[in-house]
Amino acid sequence: MSQPPMDAQSDPQGLAPPVSAPVEATGPSYLTVTKTISSWAFTLDHKRIGVMYLIGVLLMFLLGGLIAMLIRTELFSPLALITPLFADTVEAQADMYNKWFTTHGAIMVFLVIIPGVPAALGNFVLPLLLGAKDVAFPKLNLGSFYLWVTGAVFFLYVLLTGGLDTGWTFYTPYSAESGTAVIPALMGVFILGFSSIFTGLNFIVTIHKMRPPGMTWFKMPLFLWATYATAVMQVLATPVIGITVLLLILERTLGIGIFDPRNGGDPVLFQHFFWFYSHPAVYIMIVPPMGIVSELIAVHSHKRIFGYTYIAFSSVAIAIFSFLVWGHHMFTSGQSTTMNIIFSGITFSVGLPSAIKIFNWIATMYKGAISLNTAMLYGISFIFLFTIGGLTGLFLAVLTIDTHLHDTYFVVAHFHYVMMGSGLIAFIGGLHHWWPKMTGKMFSEYWGRIACGLVFVGFNLTFIPQFVMGSLGMPRRYYTYADKFEGYHQLSTMGSYVMAVGFFLIAYYLIQSLVSGKKAPPNPWGGNSLEWHTTSPPPLLNFDEVPVATDPYDYENLEYDPATGNYETTKVG
Amino acid sequence: MNSLFTMLAQSKPTFWLPKPVSNFAGPVDGDFYFVYWVSMFFLVLITALLVYFMWKFRTPPGAHAQSQTDHHLMLEVVWTVIPLILSLMMFWYGYRGYVAMQTAPSDGISIIAEAQKWAWNFSYASNGAVIPGMSDDFNDVREKVRSGEFTADEAAAAEDKILEKAGLHVPMGVPIDITVMAADVLHAFYIPAFRVKKDCVPGRTGKVWFIANEAGIYDLYCAEYCGQGHSKMHTKVVVHETVEEYEKWLEIAGSYDETLPFDQNGAIVWKRRGCISCHSVDGSKKVGPSWKDMFGSMRKFTAIGRPGELVADEAYIEDSIRYPMNRIADGYPPQMPVVKLTEKEILWVIEYIKSLGQNSGGAQNPRKEN
Repeated sequence: MSQPPMDAQSDPQGLAPPVSAPVEATGPSYLTVTKTISSWAFTLDHKRIGVMYLIGVLLMFLLGGLIAMLIRTELFSPLALITPLFADTVEAQADMYNKWFTTHGAIMVFLVIIPGVPAALGNFVLPLLLGAKDVAFPKLNLGSFYLWVTGAVFFLYVLLTGGLDTGWTFYTPYSAESGTAVIPALMGVFILGFSSIFTGLNFIVTIHKMRPPGMTWFKMPLFLWATYATAVMQVLATPVIGITVLLLILERTLGIGIFDPRNGGDPVLFQHFFWFYSHPAVYIMIVPPMGIVSELIAVHSHKRIFGYTYIAFSSVAIAIFSFLVWGHHMFTSGQSTTMNIIFSGITFSVGLPSAIKIFNWIATMYKGAISLNTAMLYGISFIFLFTIGGLTGLFLAVLTIDTHLHDTYFVVAHFHYVMMGSGLIAFIGGLHHWWPKMTGKMFSEYWGRIACGLVFVGFNLTFIPQFVMGSLGMPRRYYTYADKFEGYHQLSTMGSYVMAVGFFLIAYYLIQSLVSGKKAPPNPWGGNSLEWHTTSPPPLLNFDEVPVATDPYDYENLEYDPATGNYETTKVG
Repeated sequence: MNSLFTMLAQSKPTFWLPKPVSNFAGPVDGDFYFVYWVSMFFLVLITALLVYFMWKFRTPPGAHAQSQTDHHLMLEVVWTVIPLILSLMMFWYGYRGYVAMQTAPSDGISIIAEAQKWAWNFSYASNGAVIPGMSDDFNDVREKVRSGEFTADEAAAAEDKILEKAGLHVPMGVPIDITVMAADVLHAFYIPAFRVKKDCVPGRTGKVWFIANEAGIYDLYCAEYCGQGHSKMHTKVVVHETVEEYEKWLEIAGSYDETLPFDQNGAIVWKRRGCISCHSVDGSKKVGPSWKDMFGSMRKFTAIGRPGELVADEAYIEDSIRYPMNRIADGYPPQMPVVKLTEKEILWVIEYIKSLGQNSGGAQNPRKEN
C-alpha cells in the first residue's frame, strides 16, 4: 500500500468536514417525502424524474426486447414459423416481419438507448455527483420527460395501428411511399428529439454553473465529462434529425421533391441528413455508458482511475470526431470516391479515443482491490464486449472490406455489440451500481452475478454467429434466407433465449429487492464521489448540508464496516 | 505485410469468407485477414489482462488497493501510437484496394443491372437483350427443396433450366462493367463471392466492375432493404468458361420464340420483366391489381389528384405500362415503376391479360377522364 491505513486516530483534531459526518437519515427520503400520484406526476425533483424515466425506459426495453424475441424466433427457420400466427397471406407475413425489425430498431434506439443513460440514470445521478440540489432547470427537465412520454405514445400508436415497415433508418424513397404509419413515427422521432435536446441543454448548464466549490473541470467525476460531451452532441446534432423528419413528412404529404427522385429529389441526400444526426447519435448512445464504466471500474477496484485526463479528453475527442464521420454509413451508396476515402480516414480517428479508454480502464484494475460485485462484472463485460464492438468497427472502416460487409449481418452484429453489448450492458451495470442509492435497498448479489453471466453468455451466443454469417454474405433485414445460413441463425436464436432468461432474472430480483431487500447503507461499494456522501435513498434536497467537493477517485480514506456493509469516511485528506 | 495476407488468402471458402471468385476477392480477403489478426491479437491481449487482473486482484470488501498510481505518460503514448500506426496501415490498404475497385478498365463487357421491387433485370449492351433475374422461380426451387419435393440434384437441374434464360451471365477472365440502376426504391447489387456491392439508387447510376476468375454459379442478393419482397430478391450469377460460350448463351437467351402465340409470350414477359412481383394472374391481391378478369373491366383511379373511370382496353393498359404514375388505381399505392417494354412485349402482355378472362362491361371507352 502506498499509504498507511487510516483509522480514527489519524484525525485527532476531529476536523472532519460535513461529508465525513456519519450519514444518517434525518428526514424522509425523496421517495417518501410526499405520497400522492400528483406529487410524482408534477414533481420537479430530478431523482423522481429520473426514476420515472427509468420505469418508462425499462418498459420500452421490455417491449423492444419482446419484439426482438419474435424476430429471433421467426429466424430460427428460413420457413415461415410464427408470422403465420399474425398474418394470413405470404405477403402479409413478410410485411409482418419487416414491421418487427423496424419497430424493434426504432424503439430501442429512440426510446431506450438514447434516453437510457443520460435521461434515466443521468437525471438521477448528475446533480448528486455535483453536490447540487437539482439540475439547473427543473421544470424543463419535467418537460423533457413528458416530451419523451408523448414520443412514446406516438410509437405505441404506430404499433397499434399496424406498425411501420421502413426500417428505423427511414430511407427514402421507400419511406416516402410505404403504406404504413410513417408520419406518426416521424412525429414521434421529432418530439423525442426535443426531449433529448432539452435534457442536453439542462445538463450543459448544470455542469457549467452548479459545480460545488473546489470542483474544477478536472476534478469532476468522469461520468460528468461523458455526460457533458454527450449533451453537446445532443444539442448540436438532434436539430438536424428534426428538420430531416419534417422534410420527409412534407415529402410524403406535399411531394416537395427533396428526397424522392420521382419528383426530382435525391434519396442519398436523405442518407446524408439522417446520418449527420444518427452517427453522433451512436456516440450519444455509447459515451455516457463509457462514463458509467469509468465509475464502475474505479469504485469497484478501489483504485484511482488511471489516465483521468486521457479518458476525459477522449470523450471530448469522440464528441468532436463524431460529427465528421457520418459518410462511413454510405460507402456503397454512390457518394464520390474522394468522399469515401476522406470519411474512411477520419473514421479511424474515432477508434483511437476508444482504444485509449479501454487501455486506461484495464490499467485501473491493475493492482486494485477488485470487488467482483454484479456492477463490476457488468463493467468488465462491457470492456470485453466493447473491445469486440470496436475492433469489428475497424473492418467496416476499411473501404474494401466494407464493400463486402456493408448491409450484411456483420454490421448487425457489430452495432449490437456497441449499442447493446456496450451501451445497454453499461446501463444495466450503472443501474446495479446506483440501485441502492435510488431505492435504498440492496439486491441479491448472488442472483445478480448469475444473471450477468447469463446475459453475457447469451449475448455472445446471439451475435458471434451473426458476424460469421455476415462475412459469409448473409444480407440484413431478410425475412427468409438461404439454407446454408440456417445453423448460424439457430445458434443466434438460442443465444437470445439465454439472454432473455438473464434479463427476466434481473427484473425478478430487482423487483424482489424493493419488497424484501436489505436496507442499503449510504456507501455500499466504497465510492467517494458525492452521491455516496448522502443517505440511501437521498433526502428531497439531496444533502442535509451543502457538501464540499471530494476527490472522487480517492478511496484511501474509506474503511469498510462489515456490520453495516458501509464504507465510512475516516479522514478527508 | 498485407500482400502476405493476400497470398495466404485461400482460394476456397473459409470459416469467415465465401469462396473468392473475382479479381477483388484476393485483395479484399487480404485486407480482411490483416484486420482480423490485428483484432485477434488485441482481443486476446485485452481479454487475458482482464481475466488475469480480475483473478489476481480480487479481494473481499474493505481491502485497499496495492497501488494508487494513476498515470504513466509512456504507457499512454505507447497505446496511442501503436493503434494509430495500425489504423493508418488499415486505412492505406483499404484506400489502395478501393481505388482499384472504382477504376474500371475501358474494354469491359457492358451490362446494365436494373433493380425493381422485387426483381432484377440485366440488359446486355452487345445485343440489347434484357434477361430477367427470375427471383420467383429460384424461390420456387428453394421452397421445393425445403418441402422435400426436390432433392439437391433435382434442384440443381431445375436451376440450370431456369438459368438457360435468366440470371446474370458473364464470361471468365474478362473485365465486366456493370451499371446499376433502380426503377423504384433503393436496392443494392451484391455478389458475396466477388466481394462487390453497390447501391442501386433511383435517378442515379452506379458502377461496379470485376473479373470473374472461376466458372460456376454464384448468389446475387439485394442488400438494401426494399420492402416486402426484399429477402426474395435474389438470383444467380453464371460465370462461363469462355467468351464464346457466353456469347452463344446470350444469343439464345436474349430472343423470344416468335413462333409462340402472343399470349404465351406475354406470360414470359410477365415473368421475365418482373410484372409477376406485383400483379397476380389468379385474382389474389398483391401490391398492384390482379390481371385476372381485368380486361374490359371498369377501372377507378386518381389522375392528377382527381378521380376518374375508364374501361381497361388496349389503350388503357398500354398507357398504364408506359406512364404508370398517370393514373393510380383506387385502393393501390402509387408504386409502379416504369418498366421499359418493347412494342412487341407490350402487345404480348395485352394479349396475355386478355387471355386471363375478359369483362364484357364496356367495349367502348366513354373517355370521360377527369
